[in-house]
Amino acid sequence: MRLRNRVASFLRKPYNVILITLAVSLFFLTLLPLASLVRDTFVVHPSEIMSVKGSQAGDLTLFHWIKVFLSGATSQNMLYRPLWNTLVTALGSCFIAIAMGGILAWLVTRSDLRWKGFISVVFIFPYILPSWTLAMAWLNFFRNPLVGGAPGLFTALTGIETADWFAYGMLPIIVVQGLHYAPFAYILIGGILRNMDANLEEAATLLQTSRFKILTRITLPIVMPAVLSTFLLVFSSCLSSFAVPAFLGTPVRFQVLTTQLYRTLNGINPGYGYIIAFLMILIGAVILAANQLYIGKRKSFTTVTGKSSNVALVKLRALRTPLSTIVVVSLAAIAILPLITFAVESFILAPGDYSLQNFTTIFWVGEGHVEVGGGEPGILLNQYVWLGLWNSVRLSLVVALIAGTVGGLAGYAIVKGRGTKLASFVNNLAFFPYLMPSMAFGAIYLSMFAKPNLFIPSLYGTFALLVLVGTVKYLPFASRAGTNAMLQLSGEIEEAGIMLGIPWCKRMTYIIFPIQRSSFLSGYMLPFISCMRELALFVILIVPANRVLTTMLFQYNEKGWTQYANAINLLIVLIVLIFNYAINKATGASIDKGIGG
Amino acid sequence: MPEIVLKGITKRFGRFVAVDHISMSIADGDFVTLLGPSGCGKTTILRMIAGLESPTEGEILIDGNTVFCSERGIDVAPEKRGIGFLFQNYALWPHMTVEKNIAFGLENLKWDKPRIHARVAELLAKLKISQFGQRYPSELSGGQQQRVAIARTLATEPKILFMDEPLSNLDAKLRTEMRTELKRLHNESRSTFVYVTHDQLEAMTLSTRACLMKEGLLQQYAPPLQIYHSPANVFVADFVGSPTMNFIEGKIVAINSSEVRVSTTGLDFIFTAVGTALALSIGQKVVLGVRPEYLKIGAGGQVQARVYSTQPSGMETVVKLQLKDHLLTSVAFGAIDFAIDTDIEFDFIEDRCILFDGETMVNLEHGRLRVDYR
Repeated sequence: MRLRNRVASFLRKPYNVILITLAVSLFFLTLLPLASLVRDTFVVHPSEIMSVKGSQAGDLTLFHWIKVFLSGATSQNMLYRPLWNTLVTALGSCFIAIAMGGILAWLVTRSDLRWKGFISVVFIFPYILPSWTLAMAWLNFFRNPLVGGAPGLFTALTGIETADWFAYGMLPIIVVQGLHYAPFAYILIGGILRNMDANLEEAATLLQTSRFKILTRITLPIVMPAVLSTFLLVFSSCLSSFAVPAFLGTPVRFQVLTTQLYRTLNGINPGYGYIIAFLMILIGAVILAANQLYIGKRKSFTTVTGKSSNVALVKLRALRTPLSTIVVVSLAAIAILPLITFAVESFILAPGDYSLQNFTTIFWVGEGHVEVGGGEPGILLNQYVWLGLWNSVRLSLVVALIAGTVGGLAGYAIVKGRGTKLASFVNNLAFFPYLMPSMAFGAIYLSMFAKPNLFIPSLYGTFALLVLVGTVKYLPFASRAGTNAMLQLSGEIEEAGIMLGIPWCKRMTYIIFPIQRSSFLSGYMLPFISCMRELALFVILIVPANRVLTTMLFQYNEKGWTQYANAINLLIVLIVLIFNYAINKATGASIDKGIGG
Repeated sequence: MPEIVLKGITKRFGRFVAVDHISMSIADGDFVTLLGPSGCGKTTILRMIAGLESPTEGEILIDGNTVFCSERGIDVAPEKRGIGFLFQNYALWPHMTVEKNIAFGLENLKWDKPRIHARVAELLAKLKISQFGQRYPSELSGGQQQRVAIARTLATEPKILFMDEPLSNLDAKLRTEMRTELKRLHNESRSTFVYVTHDQLEAMTLSTRACLMKEGLLQQYAPPLQIYHSPANVFVADFVGSPTMNFIEGKIVAINSSEVRVSTTGLDFIFTAVGTALALSIGQKVVLGVRPEYLKIGAGGQVQARVYSTQPSGMETVVKLQLKDHLLTSVAFGAIDFAIDTDIEFDFIEDRCILFDGETMVNLEHGRLRVDYR
């Protein structure tokens, strides 16, 4: 009787029901797959019976671990060199991203730079666009014929042939990833600079401190925490980046962990791949733990007083116009020029020949020609492209709908149940997928759902699996958005409804959601846009029947059909930009929110 | 009739005990204030009775019905307890107009449109905010928002009305005005009001009974004037009244029937108890408490002191007096500007001085005080 009453009153609170449901389902969708992944590193896979002598599929073995870690040249190629490449490119990208983003953030918030509005908008572009956009642009420009295929625009225009080290491999990967994440650094560091109490700098000015000293002794130390946290986040993003190294590294067999993971999972020794995936998850977890520890330990200096609008801007004097021009021109080069090259590349018949008579529309609206691209029709007439587009949009919509709703409810329940063990358990579980590099996450779902498991049938090759993996992977975005929305909302707002006897559903739909609409909506939008441009997560789970645009792009590019790839890329970019713009207009929410002109 | 009874209510947040075995009953039609410094558990009590929070232990009855019982696992939902709740920050729904804010609860009760309309109009008129019906909360001042919040709470005619520091966000002038309104409202509605505040003046002026709390423990539950004149202990005496009571620490050195000699640093006092049966002993540590209004300044007074500072505020003047090592506060009616560092004379008047135990700090006796110049 007493127990029944207790359970009843526990379950009468909607957030408890949500928390329990989430705890159970997230356990099945995150922790269990992880366990399955670990198990898969210890068993003999069907394709490996020949390499592991005298074994049967399913036997326990240390074969993979020994091969990956302790087998001389094999391990060197399999793990250590890609690991080293990964770390070096990640560090290099971080350096470029923070240097560029930081300097620009300072220029925009603290100096009298011209055209700030234009700069702020355009600089965010590379971040909104899929990461491989710049990689493809790089190829369009600097491709050289040494690896086969036609030279890029640069060679066509100047006649100078680019060196391999410049066209492919480490250098371009570092530059391209650095440029891609620079806006991220700009948003974070600029946000701190913007919110920083101007009095801190003004107090120093009154004490006759020089501008340079203010920058080095006051401003920099204050933004340091933001810089470090940017560093860790960019670093972990670079670790899990797949598309850029796949585009730029593969021609010269420059491998990083993700490309290695792709190779091994598609090869005959998936066990190696699962170990690499596990390793990536570990590294990701360590980095995020370091970030949490750092943020938790160190008190933030940032004080938001809302009075920092009238900072005395540094006068750039004679440098003002030249510097502004340089910034604008280089931004145009990295943000707008790539889009133009996609268009150009998609209209030329023989790659590398940019003369006017070589222009053609067959890759867009051609009927298909045996000599060109294996006889595929132009992408606007190509039913597979339309199918891919439909799959992409359908997948992104379903994922966004589920992730956004579940994430919103999760945020609600986590905030309402704050302080209880259950709530913090769910909070951690919902954040867990964020730790996982996309491709490793794809790998654990492959490991878990490729065969019937417990009561779940084999989902490999189904649309449902893509929805599942996308939803769970992007749940952290939505649950963070939901949690933030709820934290900003005083508990009294809902309690006022409770006291008036308004039922939970009505409280959610008439009171809570409308008030925090834009926060909750960003929980729908982030998964949508991320899903629309996701490659690494889906690339190992996709089968021909449910190809999405990004994996098609990847395949066309692998086959060397650059015109199709460029055309599809342009399509993806357009869709992402249109949706970002539309949602921004409709709701005021935006993924690049945080810093203005 | 709605009577609220708390039996041994305890609330723990982890290890922290927010409310510690509180038992009290609130009679129908009472205006009870829960008074105490921040963090003393008063809001938690209010929220537990309302059902917004569940006690760790204990039982709560409203109108004879058990709404919470830890033993039997009963926990009735807030909306079924028939309570109206006025929140500290008003909790108006920012995306609804004033009218909609008030009407929303009624719509939920499936009232028909004309009836809702009439009720909303009636409430707007009653709270003098008729002209703001179509505005959004952000377009109103704090005082107007407060009125909307009250109207929304009253709309469903709850028999019990809870208020959690409703006036703390208003400026001093509006606070006085709203205090008047609330007292009238209590009279007109004949509902039971439970009111949380940390402002002793609000508790004194509004309530029929005040419940004073400290660190989760109930200190005194009595009508405000009784609390003022016979505080249960030093904490209560210190918390209630402004300027605060004077406290003089000392030790009993002699007892002669009802006359007690208290030795303090610098000088001795004679305390003459009103009662006779004194459970006092020589050597006992005590605290003497005198409210400022019982230090009457005037030529020919028994006690000589020096003016330390003086703060005339028009209607009254607060004078700080240096008496040997003691700094005492006196209040004189009217604006009298005493010169600092001049000598004056005063008397301890009436038998309102309180003798507290120096260890347990509880109220032992009250009586008359004078300085022993022997």
